[in-house]
Amino acid sequence: MDSIPQELIDTILDNVPESSLLSCSLVEKRWRQNSQRRAFDTISFSSEEDMNRWCADIPQDSDGISPYVRHLKIKEIYSWAEPALLSRMLESLSSLTTLSMDTTKIPDELPGHISCGEFGNGITALHLSLLRPTFAAMTSLILSLPNLKELCIENCGVMPEGPHPARPVIPQRRPLDSLGLHGFVDGVGEALAESQLTFSRLSSDGGITGIMQLLLVSSETLVELKLCGAWFLRVPRPSRDDSD
Amino acid sequence: MTDIPDDFDDGFDDGFDDEIPSTIHLPPLPALTTLVIELHLSGLLPHFANTLCSIGSAPALESIVIDYPNWGHIDGIFSEDPWVDLDRWLSRIARHAEVAGGLTLTLRRWPEGKSIWEGFLPKFRESGEIKVEH
Repeated sequence: MDSIPQELIDTILDNVPESSLLSCSLVEKRWRQNSQRRAFDTISFSSEEDMNRWCADIPQDSDGISPYVRHLKIKEIYSWAEPALLSRMLESLSSLTTLSMDTTKIPDELPGHISCGEFGNGITALHLSLLRPTFAAMTSLILSLPNLKELCIENCGVMPEGPHPARPVIPQRRPLDSLGLHGFVDGVGEALAESQLTFSRLSSDGGITGIMQLLLVSSETLVELKLCGAWFLRVPRPSRDDSD
Repeated sequence: MTDIPDDFDDGFDDGFDDEIPSTIHLPPLPALTTLVIELHLSGLLPHFANTLCSIGSAPALESIVIDYPNWGHIDGIFSEDPWVDLDRWLSRIARHAEVAGGLTLTLRRWPEGKSIWEGFLPKFRESGEIKVEH
């Protein structure tokens, strides 16, 4: 086994199915690191219990497997018994670049924790799907990630707020590389436009009124525009009277 | 909310703005180089055409793709108003293109061997090039 060059081991590990990676990690020391790197590249949780178990069981040091995690998926956590748990999880994942939240409530405290702890600096991609966040929750989370490049929002409708909702103060930031709006995204484009979030590429198949407002905001930076699935685009109305 | 002034001028004096009703005017998109339009079974809906037509100026635009992955029964649709409006808009964008080589329109995943699109977008053909990718 010792005579096998590391390059060959790496090539094998690049090609084995994911289901075999944990077995490969047990072969011997030289197999372990790259097996674990691939196996733990993406981790998913659908309960606070599982997240708590991860935080308790997995050492947070640089020699453990936490630094291998680059993509964290959170799914179907409709409310948080421990709102700080997600912040703790994010803080423990030093190499995280992508955060996906599917059918999961955005904890109110999360943007503040991220901003204070600066552990969101490495996150460059944010995917939100099947959420119904408030305007403040969604934009606060987006804006708490200073190096965000890719934002994808799918089947999320922004919940109406009171007549005078607290709107986050928007710091000047460079345009996102890409913004994707897909499915039912009523109110999302409008909310992002109101946040003055700009971008270089826009792909969308819904929420035409919001798209128009986003195009107004990003008219100087837009390089690529993809519009698709025209069947549920709503008839746009001129917004000239909206300033009242 | 960004206000759109009532006297917004897209910079072109060709009377185009009066020709298409219900158009929202967008400011110039000076950096836009690529536009991809993906159509589905419903084809080109009027408000979708209006949205595109509201892009008043895109001088750097070098590629427009109209992708039609679910090609259905479409004989005769090209005489419908949305396509006529789109043709006029494409023609104007092509005439004002500032990129070397001009604006190219690609019809992607359109049916092979059919001639129904040969007379398609007649105004645009006067100043722009159409490619077909099956």
